[in-house]
This record gives sequence, C-alpha cells and structure tokens, in this order.
Amino acid sequence: MATTTATLTLTSADLLGDALSLSQTMSLYQHGTTATGLDEVTLSRHNIPTGTNFDLIPESAALSEDASYVYIINKATNAAHYIIISINSEPIGRLYAGDWLFMPWDCDLTAAANDSSLECEAVGGEQIVEYALFHNGETLATASDS
Amino acid sequence: MATTTATITLASTDIMDNNMSISNTATLTTAGTDTGITKTTGISRRTFATNSNTILLDFGLTSGIAENVTADKSAKVYIRNVNDRGDGTKYVNILIVDKEIGRLYGGDWMFIPYSGGSGKDIEFTASDTTETTLEYAIFYE
Repeated sequence: MATTTATLTLTSADLLGDALSLSQTMSLYQHGTTATGLDEVTLSRHNIPTGTNFDLIPESAALSEDASYVYIINKATNAAHYIIISINSEPIGRLYAGDWLFMPWDCDLTAAANDSSLECEAVGGEQIVEYALFHNGETLATASDS
Repeated sequence: MATTTATITLASTDIMDNNMSISNTATLTTAGTDTGITKTTGISRRTFATNSNTILLDFGLTSGIAENVTADKSAKVYIRNVNDRGDGTKYVNILIVDKEIGRLYGGDWMFIPYSGGSGKDIEFTASDTTETTLEYAIFYE
C-alpha cells in the first residue's frame, strides 16, 4: 500500500471580519479498509481546444466501485478563460485560470443514465489541463493484437 | 475586494518510485477577472441521520445557504465529512442534482467549482443511517 495525503489550506485576511484559516489533511484510503492506501495513480496533461465537450477521465470497468479521488487544475493564465467540468452531462462548475478542484469520484457503471466519465470543455481559448487520478485495482486491457 | 486563497498539497513518498509532491494555490476570483470574490456563506456544520437523498446546498432557496449564488459565475464549494473513518465502509455520496460525483468517507474533504442554476442543488446520500456530520461552505461572487 502507498501513503498519499491531500491537504487543503483556505486562507483570507479580509473576506470576513476575522481572518479565515482552515487546514484539513486527509489520507487516500481504499474502500472498506481502516488505513490501507490507494496504490495507483494516473498523471496526465492535455491541451483542450474549444468547441467540444471531451471525456477527460473516461469511466471504465477497471476503475469501478472503489474509492477514487481526482485532482484537476486549469493551467491557463488568461482570467477570462475557463474549463467547464461536468459529469454525466451535468455541469459541476467552471475552473477559471489557475483554479483547481479535488473531489472523490465514483466510477459507477451501474448509475442511471450511465456515464460517470468526467468531462471538460474549454471556453475562451485552448487551455492546458493537468489531472491526477488516485485509484486502485485497475487491470490493464489485454492488447488487441496479442 | 478580498483576497482568498485555496492551496492544495498532494504528497506521497511511495505511490511512485520518486516522491510525488503537487502543490498549487488558486486565488478565488470573480468570473473572468482578477478581482477577488467577496462573499461566503461561512462554514456550516450539520448532523444528519438518514440514508435518504437530501439536499445539502439548495440553489435558489430564498432562505437557504446557497440563496445568493449566481448561476454560471465563479463559486467554490467545500465539503468535509467530519465523521471518523471507522471500518472504511461508511460514506456519504455527493451528487450534483441526481448525478453522483463521489464518496466522502469519514475525514475526507472536497473542494470544487459550482455552476449552480435552477434546480442544480448539491445533494448527498449517506450509505446508512449512522449519524453523519458534514461541514460545508460556499465562496461566491
């Protein structure tokens, strides 16, 4: 097993009357275990052109029904550009230039209107998106020409 | 304007051959600008004991925590399952409307952008009726 942690730090000196300072750290564990870490990671970087909603992280039987976590960042520098992140055609939100998200992902192939792929669409211009998918138990597909 | 930052650090010494360390800071700005967002619901904490599908953030509800979030602007949502992890089989499914996003086990947190819109509520369904405490906040323009 591997040990992977994700730490969020939210700070602001002037959003509220008092300073905001929040920090939370979690470990990325497998489903049904008390402290067994996820063993697999996929790191990726893509140029996303405008005009098409793409599958950024396609659903897969190899990824289904275990704990998975996704980190996505929009590397754009133009403040007017953003990426729409959706799941099952339902927009979650917009990642503007420099924004990131971290969330659990349930690749559930039995879901209603079945498509749990994470989708992305660039608006305003081509943008670079990086992501990390932390998961477990993925079995690679047999090569079609083997 | 206010300056609010969200930093993520992902770290592991053994998930790959070399140490993995990813760290990035986002400054929370209004849509399409470099101007900092100025509004937040503040951090709320609620305890539930149901495994029924439940609305956590009710977009557009006049008295709800998401009342002033404007659709298709710049908003961020933080949610944390405050429970202990236990045996790792108890979790809260987080949904956008009826589309499942993923499972927050005890101690897990998430930080996502939120488009909102009519009926675009953020909901949850717990894996059982064990008492569950969620902490959450919206940062918006």
